[in-house]
Amino acid sequence: MTVQRFLPILAILALIVMVLAPLGLDPRGYEMRILCIMLLFAGLGQAWNIVGGLANQISLGHAAYFGIGAYTSTILLNLFTLSPWLGGLFGMVLAVGFALLLSIPTVRLKGHYYALATLAAGEAMRVIANSWADVTGGPVGISVPYMPGEGLWMMQFSTVLPNYYLFLAALVVICLIFWKIQTGALGYRLRAIKQNEQAAEVIGVDTYRAKLIAACVSAAITAFLGTLYAQFQFFFDPDTVFGIATISVKMALIAILGGVGRLSGPLVGAAFIIPMEEMANSYFGSSAAGLSQFAYGAILVIVILLNPHGLTALIGQLWNRILGKGAPHDRAAT
Amino acid sequence: MQKSSGKFSVRPRAGISRRAVLATGAAALAVPALSRRAYAQDAVNVGVIVPLSGPNAQFGINSRNGIQLVADEINANGGIKSMGGAPINLVIADATSNPTQAATVAQRMMSQDNVVAVLGAFASSLTLAISEVTERRGIPLLTMSFSDQITARGFQNVFQIVSVGSQIGAATFDYTRALAADAGETLERIAIMYEDTAYGTSQSAGLRQAAADAGIEVAMDEAYPLGITDVSPLINQLRRAEAQAVFPVSYLNDSLLIVRAMRQQGLNIPTIGGAAGYIIPDFRDGLGELADNVLSISPAAYDQAPEYTERFRERFGYFMVHEAQEHAACMGCLHSALEAAGVADPATISEHLRTDLFDEGWATVMTGGKVEFDEMGRNPHASPLMVQWQGGELATVYPKELAKAEVVWNS
Amino acid sequence: MQNLLTFLQTLIDGILIGGVYAVISIGLSLVFGVMHIVNFAHAEFLMIGMFIAWFAWAFAGIDPMFGAFIALGVTFVIGMVMQRTLIKPILNAPQVSQIFLTVGLLFALENGALLLFGADYRSVSTSYQTQALTLFSSDAGRLLVPLDKLYAFLMALLSGGALWYFLSRTRWGRAMRATSQDPMAARLMGINTDRMYMIAFGLGVGTTAFGGAVILPYITASPTVGAQFVVLMFTAVVLGGLGSVAGAVVGGIMVGLIQSFSALFLPIQLMNLTLFVIFILVLALRPEGLVARRRA
Repeated sequence: MTVQRFLPILAILALIVMVLAPLGLDPRGYEMRILCIMLLFAGLGQAWNIVGGLANQISLGHAAYFGIGAYTSTILLNLFTLSPWLGGLFGMVLAVGFALLLSIPTVRLKGHYYALATLAAGEAMRVIANSWADVTGGPVGISVPYMPGEGLWMMQFSTVLPNYYLFLAALVVICLIFWKIQTGALGYRLRAIKQNEQAAEVIGVDTYRAKLIAACVSAAITAFLGTLYAQFQFFFDPDTVFGIATISVKMALIAILGGVGRLSGPLVGAAFIIPMEEMANSYFGSSAAGLSQFAYGAILVIVILLNPHGLTALIGQLWNRILGKGAPHDRAAT
Repeated sequence: MQKSSGKFSVRPRAGISRRAVLATGAAALAVPALSRRAYAQDAVNVGVIVPLSGPNAQFGINSRNGIQLVADEINANGGIKSMGGAPINLVIADATSNPTQAATVAQRMMSQDNVVAVLGAFASSLTLAISEVTERRGIPLLTMSFSDQITARGFQNVFQIVSVGSQIGAATFDYTRALAADAGETLERIAIMYEDTAYGTSQSAGLRQAAADAGIEVAMDEAYPLGITDVSPLINQLRRAEAQAVFPVSYLNDSLLIVRAMRQQGLNIPTIGGAAGYIIPDFRDGLGELADNVLSISPAAYDQAPEYTERFRERFGYFMVHEAQEHAACMGCLHSALEAAGVADPATISEHLRTDLFDEGWATVMTGGKVEFDEMGRNPHASPLMVQWQGGELATVYPKELAKAEVVWNS
Repeated sequence: MQNLLTFLQTLIDGILIGGVYAVISIGLSLVFGVMHIVNFAHAEFLMIGMFIAWFAWAFAGIDPMFGAFIALGVTFVIGMVMQRTLIKPILNAPQVSQIFLTVGLLFALENGALLLFGADYRSVSTSYQTQALTLFSSDAGRLLVPLDKLYAFLMALLSGGALWYFLSRTRWGRAMRATSQDPMAARLMGINTDRMYMIAFGLGVGTTAFGGAVILPYITASPTVGAQFVVLMFTAVVLGGLGSVAGAVVGGIMVGLIQSFSALFLPIQLMNLTLFVIFILVLALRPEGLVARRRA
């Protein structure tokens, strides 16, 4: 008996809990905000998981897509009062364009080289957003106009409750996409790439095409989440949406800490990291300067040291131990 | 090592172990909330959100110190009299350097600590993010961030105690031109260099505009990336520009680099800093004698109200830096508004902030000795000051009626 | 004439700052070369080195150029302990876990420094800070070599040279290279690979701390100073070829030159954009870096 068997039931239960969760909470309160951010980052982690988890292409530049999504819809909204739904669509198209452009030089890179090239690409986008002040507003940042009562078409709400359901719906869709890819032909090809790229080519897998499609899907999802974020946060600047630590590394971290390459990974990761970060801030933030961030870093180190394969593996390990089954090690590689 | 020796108000902790809290994850979020709400029946909770980690930590700590000083004084003098002597309880939190986090912290304070007002958050980007949350809840936000955008969005509950960035930039230029004229020099060519942050860009925009209005040539106008590791390209360009005065707008490390590199190359033209890195003790400590005669604009200066600001030096051991002074003034205004309101209700407090004149206590440390907020939430009495390093201290040298020392032109 | 002078000055500035990038990157390259770990926390040791040198200067009056040796010694020990306790357990873990252990370490070190040392910016004052050698002077302009950067550059050469000598000419150095090429074979030859890993990590963070100390005369120490360098370090290391000491030197100087010349021809604001574009292009054309070293 493994965790796997219970997964579908668990997933449905979790979904019901998430749909009902806001009922007992203040729709403009703190807990709602945390839940929103948790859903957002679970979605981001899952988007990252498509390239980072399935194909082991460790991208550290996904903030580029996130920022493109946030900026595109916000600029179009400010200039033409265009609905963020359409603006988000434009953002997705631009992000896919950028993903293709970036893939030309980087798609053949492996491991650390790919990680560092994407890192530089994310930084390049931040510099551009910072310097191109006529369009982006530059380092001062950009505000989404507050138009309460405009409703769903303009993604303007007086509480965060509708934002919550938007994030939740997005997450469900993203998880379905991930599951579809993972269990489909593309997922098979990506896993072949992960295990041995040369061997995959020998048996006739078009690795170039597979990686390109994965990168584009991942970029488009990330960009749309950027639009949702902009409509939730109402103000952002280049450092926030193109940030290495705040976006790129964090979304990868959530997928990895949860369990890289697994559907449940980013969900577990986000459910752990976001509240933990909040608690570190809440408990230590008012005492000595730096203590909350120190605690955050230390906890990350401890989790990785406990089980390098992430929390899902750790939970599985505990589960097996409870049921008296040994040898949990081999499970992690799947 | 830390300058702060302040007493912090410690919030009560939930009665369960930290490990248990972490283990239960999201579900446990509500637990600390309950115990916090039970606390402080008569104390008035005031939120303080400042960066206590990351690159702006020092400025956040200074800001917190200023607010803490005023709050402790109020409590020592019997609290808020119109509320039966209710003490002020500061709820302090780390804004980090991430606007998303800053907004979350603001949300937490409003939901769980029932704060009646928020003070913060030094960096404009953080203040903007916080204001999006406080405005929707009608909680007053008092700030000393410069950015024009903060009070340009028509928000009703945001109060900006200092002049906005573009005004500060323009004043930097206008004052300098007046000082040069007094010294018998006509400014014709100037150089501007600024870090590409919200602060650098908005302030340099004001400077540039003022120079254009005066018909003066800007021989060099360069933004540079934050965290620049080598300023040689900037100084080489400055040397070629043959400017009569240079206006660097930057934080500390760049300011030290720029002044040292100028001296290395034998450039001795007047240097007029854009606040931030130029008016903190670390600037003097880093440069020693080289700091002497460096000018800077400042939104407030401690020598304007020594009877107040010396209390800060006594307690914390260094002069009252401007962000501490302005935050203290914010706390002073809030104190008066609380006294006038008589109830711990954000809407009433906000109403008093909008309409009252604040001319007593710590509110008087701002220029003009008083604070008022106009319909935009800006303080019309605020006006920047030109200060100069003289003998290890900052002295106001312009405008003349507020000057405490003679300017030394042409260092 | 003036154009030539400007060109030469840009060249000098680029090489001088590049030398410094080189010395702080060598350590990162060494750690990767021997252990195949990308250490995101590496730049934090630059910060630690700066603080050690600052304390040596503030309390004992030791010039940072000498304080650098203290920084090297102290961080060498810290590095060895850290390798034993934190890095060793994840040597065989997936790449992604390794990356994120070091990211967690980065947060912990940066904020640990904030807790220990406070948020103040710390700067030294030395006599050579504001001096420059004049190489050439005429009506058309001057050629200057700033002394603080020149000293840092010379110290960079010294530490790079010493490290090269250690790796290529000493018994332990050869053992370390053997470990990096084939740990299994090295173990069979009687090399204590665990000890080699510890020494390599200690040396790696030590040289970076050394580099931090020698730039103290012109960079202010603060807990977040590492963030200013972390991306530049990686760029330098990869441009030269991950894992190669000579490559890190070439890469560092290239980064310095690219920044310096970009600032001459384009807005200064864009100097890092130029760098990143060139970086990605170089990676695309020569993934093994400019100084390619074939690995078995």
